[in-house]
Amino acid sequence: MKWWKHVAALELRKILAYRSDFWVTFLGQILIQILVARAFWQMIYASQGVSTMQGYTLEMMNLNYLIIPIGTRILTGENIGFFAREVYDGTFTRYLLYPLSVFQYKTITYLTYSTFYVFQLILIYGLFRTFISSSPFMFSDVGNLILGVMLFFVAAAVYGMMAILIEMISLWADNIWSLAVMLRFFVSFFGGGFIPLTFLPAWGQDALLWTPFPYLISLPVRTIMGLSSLAEVSNGVLILLIWILFFWGVVKMMWKKGQHRYTGVGI
Amino acid sequence: MKRYLKLYLYFLRFSFSKAMEFRVDFTFKIVMDILYYTVNILFFKVLFLHTPLLAGWTQEQMMIFVSSYILVDAISMTVLSSNLWWLPFHINRGDLDYHLIRPVSPLFFLSLREFSASSFMNLLIAVGIFSYSLISYSQDVSAWDVLLLILLLINGTLIYYCCQMLMILPVFWTQSTKGFMDLFYSMGIAMERPDKIFKGWLRIVFTIFLPFALIASFPVRLFLEAFHWPTFFHLTAVSVSLWIIMLYFWRRGLRTYSSASS
Repeated sequence: MKWWKHVAALELRKILAYRSDFWVTFLGQILIQILVARAFWQMIYASQGVSTMQGYTLEMMNLNYLIIPIGTRILTGENIGFFAREVYDGTFTRYLLYPLSVFQYKTITYLTYSTFYVFQLILIYGLFRTFISSSPFMFSDVGNLILGVMLFFVAAAVYGMMAILIEMISLWADNIWSLAVMLRFFVSFFGGGFIPLTFLPAWGQDALLWTPFPYLISLPVRTIMGLSSLAEVSNGVLILLIWILFFWGVVKMMWKKGQHRYTGVGI
Repeated sequence: MKRYLKLYLYFLRFSFSKAMEFRVDFTFKIVMDILYYTVNILFFKVLFLHTPLLAGWTQEQMMIFVSSYILVDAISMTVLSSNLWWLPFHINRGDLDYHLIRPVSPLFFLSLREFSASSFMNLLIAVGIFSYSLISYSQDVSAWDVLLLILLLINGTLIYYCCQMLMILPVFWTQSTKGFMDLFYSMGIAMERPDKIFKGWLRIVFTIFLPFALIASFPVRLFLEAFHWPTFFHLTAVSVSLWIIMLYFWRRGLRTYSSASS
């Protein structure tokens, strides 16, 4: 068996180690998020007496808030803080000794989590379209779902590099957990995880187009919902690729300098 | 009581000196919480660009609500969260033994041992935001109303604590390292929305069984709208019941605790 299959299998076992916790948490989180979002937006639509707000019907808004929590997990994986923690307690040394690149190892663990969440997304999306949605299921919906998932993976590459950059600061600073949480806040708010970006003022939407944020959550979610044109998708992919190149350069530069600072003692 | 107060002062001294050891982390944590407050305020500011009222509240009333749940969050983050974060690990690894043999209440020790000094700075900022929202409120309010709101928000923090504990305590039986903490954090969204949005069975869930709507929304509603005794009694009854239920499960959990790490 190739090494990456072993790593992926181990990570999967970790995810499912406490099954009751896992399923209660997964279903509970989805249910809470969608019920609260639904109640909140239902009240707003009703008080305004409108059926559409900023291009979203109430049903689309519900689907939006159903996809976002799982989509965010595909984007962020599960390894927040692990790299920094290993630097902090000195266990990072193993990656310098074993014939295995730390980045390859972390990428596989990251992708295992993301892939697992893709299956959850498909399951929840399928349930929504079957039991809740009023619009008929079309063949193009499958295409949109596949395209959206692929976009999430490209976006995950950008997010992963941003996360690694922050984690690498641990080679200089003592603890960076709070920086990683800040990144999540930024991505959630400016990526459309809190509120659809069409609700922001026009100048805010225009300013964000120059950053990677709208392409990390909003674009994949809108693509799954069939709200993005092919031009928007290809433009988004292009911008994400440019950001990947940029972050890759910065990660390489920081790693070159940072690894010489690692003492291996732990704090 | 005096002994516990003295012990808590030792906790404070120890926590501050520990926080000062990691100054960069200390600063980052302050910025992180400021960002959390900003994002929450911006969320409602953006919504008010599209609607004049939310759940019957104007923007200035909504800011009182937002600053109230920010205040509850800040108190909780400062006084309780660091401790509760580690509680499942103590249970899972068998480290609880060290706390059970001490001549002090284990619940007191495990809930209040760590005082988050960095969050304390944010607590001051949260108090500032809360005060500003009250001062800039255009309606007349009495000092008694403000005092009642503060007391009810402190009670809201206790509800928040009980809910969090009830999500952690299953660790005694499931032996996992987190309990249902992730689920609890997701449920936090129910605290950040006005209770009037919840109707029917969902209202029963969030005002009785998972009473997140009672943490900030009920106190603010009692403050902004005419005082309503049934709402006040509801709040009191649920708070007391939740505390009793939490203590019951804590004791049952301790009886189940096998001390062996897994």
